[in-house]
Amino acid sequence: MAKREIEEINAGSMADIAFLLLIFFLVTTTMDKDQAYIRSIPKKVEVSTPVDVEERNILAIKANNQNQLMVRGKIFDDPNKISDFVLEFYRTNEKKNDPTNNFPMYSRISTSAIDQNIATIEAEIEQMEEAGMKADVINFKYNQLDEWEKKKRALKLYGANELPEIHVQANIRIEVQQATAYSIFAKMQTEIEEAIFELRNGECERLFGMPYSVLKRRYDQDKKADDQAMMNLLEILYPARIIEVTPKK
Amino acid sequence: MSKFKKDGSRPMPGVNTSSLPDIVFMLLFFFMVATTSKENDPTVKVESPVGDKTTDLTPYKQRSEVDFLYLGEPRNPMRAADFKMGYALSLDNVVQPTVDGLYTTNAVAQWKKDKFDQKPARMTAPIESVITCFKADRNAPSGLIFDIRKELQDINALTIAYAVRDNGNI
Repeated sequence: MAKREIEEINAGSMADIAFLLLIFFLVTTTMDKDQAYIRSIPKKVEVSTPVDVEERNILAIKANNQNQLMVRGKIFDDPNKISDFVLEFYRTNEKKNDPTNNFPMYSRISTSAIDQNIATIEAEIEQMEEAGMKADVINFKYNQLDEWEKKKRALKLYGANELPEIHVQANIRIEVQQATAYSIFAKMQTEIEEAIFELRNGECERLFGMPYSVLKRRYDQDKKADDQAMMNLLEILYPARIIEVTPKK
Repeated sequence: MSKFKKDGSRPMPGVNTSSLPDIVFMLLFFFMVATTSKENDPTVKVESPVGDKTTDLTPYKQRSEVDFLYLGEPRNPMRAADFKMGYALSLDNVVQPTVDGLYTTNAVAQWKKDKFDQKPARMTAPIESVITCFKADRNAPSGLIFDIRKELQDINALTIAYAVRDNGNI
C-alpha cells in the first residue's frame, strides 16, 4: 500500500488572524505617554503668624480671571516671557550681591564655615541628648546636620572655594484666580521648569561637560550615587521652590 | 526582431502572499511594544495644554503609584449646568459634581483613600508619595484644581502632578 502524504495545514487565514489582533491593539492602546509636572502640596500645619518674607525674595507670577499676566507689577501679554523673568530672578545677584536692586541675595559659604556649623550642631545634639530632650527636636537637628553634610559634599564636587547659594526664602509664587484657564496655569509651570532647566543645564555643561537632560535620565534609570551627588549640587545651586497660592473665593 | 514580444497565452502569476502574516505580525508586535493600554475613556472632554520639560509618568504607572483624575466639560452638554463653572470631575469614569457635592461628600478624598487601600501589596509607597495626576482641560478654571488640592491636603496625599502634552520629549 502506498504511503499517503500528510496534507499541509492551510495557513492562508493566518494573515486575517494577525490583522484582527493588530486592529484590536490599535484600538485599545494609546501612543501618548503621560507627561506631567510633579509637585508637592505643603503639609497641613497650623501657623499662628505667617513668616515675613522680604519682597526681594518673592517672584510672584500672577494671572487674573481674564487670563492677563503680571509679574512683579508689570503687565504683559506674551506668556513666553515668564521664563526670562525667572532667569533674571536667579541670575541678577548670582555673581555679585547688589543691595540696591530688588532681587534675592546670594550667600557664599566656605568649607571651613560648613565644618564649623557641623561641629556646632553636633555639640548641640550631644547636649540635647544628655538633657533628655524630645525626640522630634533632636530629629530636627539631625536633619539640619544632614543638610550641612550634603552641602559639604556639594561644595567638594563644585570645586570652588565657596558655594554660592540663593537666599533660603527666595521663592517663585504662582498666583491665579478662580477662573484662570488651566492652560495659563500649566504654561506658568512650563516656563518655570524651562528656566530652571536652563540654569541647571548651564552649570551641568560647565562642571561635568554633559547636558542636564542626560544626567537626569541616567539618574532616573540607574540611581547611581555619583549621579545623585551631581543632581544634589545642581539642586542646591538652583533650587526650585515653587509656591502655588490658593485663589481667594 | 520582436525579442520582448509578449507571449499572450501565458497567464499572470499570482502575487505570493505567504509572507503577509509575517509582516502583519511584525506590525502587531511593534504596536504591542510601543503603546500602552488606555486606562479608561474619561466621561469628560479633556484636551490637555501643551508643555515642555516634563516628567514621564510611565515608571510611576508601572509601580501603580499614580491615580488619574479628569477635569473637563461633560460629554453631554445638557448636563454642564449641573456643575460648578460648567466643569465636571471624573473619577474612574464616575462623574462627580464639583459644586457642593465636593465639599459635603468629600468625593476626592474618599476616592483617593479607596484607591490607596486597593493598591497591590507589592506597592509599598506611603500615601504622601502616591501621585495624584490632574488631567484637566485647557480651559478648565484653576480654582477647581485648588479645591481638589485642598481635599488631598486634608488626607495627606501630598504628591500631585499636572498633566500636559509634551511634543518635544517622546
